[in-house]
Amino acid sequence: MKIDLAVIGQGAVSPAGMGVDALLHREPVPVSVAGLGQPDQPWPVLRVDVKDPAFVRWQGEPRLRRASSITFFLVEAAEQALAGVSPADRAETGLIVAFSAGCITYSRRFFEGIVTQGMASPALFPETVFNSPVSHVASVLNLNGAAYALAGDETAWVAALQTASIWLQQERVRQVLILGAEEFDPIVLDAYRSARWLRRQNSARGFLASEGAAGILARRAGRCAGHHDRARRMDLSHEIGGGDRHGKDDSRLSPQSSHLSDGTAQLDGALRDRHYCGRRNGGQLETALPRRGLHRLRRMAHVAGPEHAHAPASASPAPRLGVKSSIRFVGVGNTKIVRVTSTISV
Amino acid sequence: MTRSIVVTGLGVVTPLGEDFPLSWNALIAGRDAQGPLDLFDTTGCRCHHAASASLPPLADLSPQAIRRLARASRLAIPAAREALASAGLLDAEGRSTLSELPFSVSTTAGGMAFGEDFLRRVLARNRSNSRSHLFSQVSRYLSQQQVLDVQQALGFEGHSIIIANACASGANAIGHAADLISVGAADCVLAGGFEALTELVFVGFDCLQATSTDRCRPFDLNRSGLLLGEAAAFLVLESGEHAQRRGATPLCHLTGYGHTTDFFHLTQPQPDGAALVEVMRAAATGARVAPGQIGYVNAHGTATPVNDGVEAKAYGAFFGDALPLTRISSTKAAIGHTLGAAGAVEALFAIEALRTGRLPPQLNLQTPIPEMAPVLVGEKESSCEMQHVMSVNLGFGGSNAALIFSRSPSP
Repeated sequence: MKIDLAVIGQGAVSPAGMGVDALLHREPVPVSVAGLGQPDQPWPVLRVDVKDPAFVRWQGEPRLRRASSITFFLVEAAEQALAGVSPADRAETGLIVAFSAGCITYSRRFFEGIVTQGMASPALFPETVFNSPVSHVASVLNLNGAAYALAGDETAWVAALQTASIWLQQERVRQVLILGAEEFDPIVLDAYRSARWLRRQNSARGFLASEGAAGILARRAGRCAGHHDRARRMDLSHEIGGGDRHGKDDSRLSPQSSHLSDGTAQLDGALRDRHYCGRRNGGQLETALPRRGLHRLRRMAHVAGPEHAHAPASASPAPRLGVKSSIRFVGVGNTKIVRVTSTISV
Repeated sequence: MTRSIVVTGLGVVTPLGEDFPLSWNALIAGRDAQGPLDLFDTTGCRCHHAASASLPPLADLSPQAIRRLARASRLAIPAAREALASAGLLDAEGRSTLSELPFSVSTTAGGMAFGEDFLRRVLARNRSNSRSHLFSQVSRYLSQQQVLDVQQALGFEGHSIIIANACASGANAIGHAADLISVGAADCVLAGGFEALTELVFVGFDCLQATSTDRCRPFDLNRSGLLLGEAAAFLVLESGEHAQRRGATPLCHLTGYGHTTDFFHLTQPQPDGAALVEVMRAAATGARVAPGQIGYVNAHGTATPVNDGVEAKAYGAFFGDALPLTRISSTKAAIGHTLGAAGAVEALFAIEALRTGRLPPQLNLQTPIPEMAPVLVGEKESSCEMQHVMSVNLGFGGSNAALIFSRSPSP
């Protein structure tokens, strides 16, 4: 399917700080956290600074009084992407959020209460549901359009783009806010450790568990008249072309697998330096990511294109960037690897 | 809807039966599937019963392969297989004849039982936990694994999407499939949802005191809560041209889909039901159908005190003077609330009501809500004149969705 979106806003909350600029250019400092299963084994982890004033401002919202951090990440990233959008336009804004683990902290706490104390908290349970953060964001920011919570791996983000494109094509909404989010909980360290995906201190292999949210505000390309000022203010206007494909789970190591492994290490290295995953190869940029949700944040940075995020403002329409992505699973034993291929044209 | 969208295949596994004919016949006969829950320990809970399903055999999978499947996959695979078979899309080996088949799916908990076991083992800090076993559990708990399980078992691949809009998800998954076909992004989509009973979800609803210790009595003044259930349901949606090209017989047309979000409260609908009215109007507008033309509504009807009262108000507002012209029932009294699968299962029941003219009765009714009393379906009712039916769902987070199915395409 041809996706034809114009990006008119973007927002991010990451361990590097608040905003897309921080995500792309600031170096986050890992902290040490242990999993639940091995409390004496700390791992370097990237955490969002929940004391940042931009983050704290949402804590007074009555609707968010019981919400977990993933909701706060989403609300802040969404508000950044919506900056300058009128209340009337907000009322015609659709919302799609992609998750992998979703509300993992409350889910873990809720079930841990059952297992260890034989008690369950009715305050926690509603917040364990995938779409609770989506509902909170829509309510707090007055987004009256349709809303979907999508679950899955990294490809959920591409499905979100496709869904946004359909809603815009059907004129169901005027614009769509498309977000991805994950929150950190020590249980994810146990999960990633079981998969041997975690990076040890002073090692280049594996990855760092992280958290945050990021997203874009999109309209149908070619229907952004009157929004050039806004595009210039943000120094960004993209067109995203995409298609995706979930392949069969190959039962043996594929010919690309060594390349994928190299690519994964390279991506993590690149992220460490630039919070940007990818590899330049002529006009093509290839990424290969292990199946895990936290990389979604990185891919958003990749889709946004850091070199264009800071393009000089001009009176003419801002540069347009075409990105074509294809996604395929490759199975290596029990491990599924998702291969993302993106072609960028300016 | 800009392209004609037809339904050509149906498949379910419910607590009433391992396939669609068994489930439908038991439903029409007025059976309910409430029984003691023995899938996990319910000590300390108020409620100790649910509507659990018998898992159909998976003859073409090895015992080892079956052991690796989440309970949710064991519900989803046979339901998806039945849907493809009834659409004429399975070959002699039981594999999909379409190697590329978009898949629009809903669930709320995926393979949660694996996640629960993983957490138990991690908290126990037992050194005998093998890393590979832990990884196997955690990788199979995520809902995309059940999607892959279905794709692998039935031999198809292609774009997939998992919509997790709580209890409205199933209707959303079907509506999204219709959207894909409507804009030309797909010609044929397998759509539906699955949900298995899990301890976390059961205890969650129990601690909210949302489950009933009595029978599940939707739209009854003495209703006291919901009955949790489990199920999987899928249907094959195609563009009219695609179905015609391959000689498939349409079962009905999907003519309307509406969805919206109710901001009122995370777990409670707006007291006047305004968001639900809006979503029904959106679906009816898409289908170009007046409320009075809708012959049967499969209601959300959870039997919780708040939901059913609001839903009754919403039907009054939507149908207005035409309310006595329609028939309404909630099939949750029979199969329980199947959460992420509910919208899909109930859409299938609405479709079969349209096709056969037989209406699922409102079970366990003693003292109906007065404004609903004239419209709730009684035993052995039929309505052969129906041209349109609607399925309605609400969910946590204020998700609302409505689907309209019709005998013929929208004018």
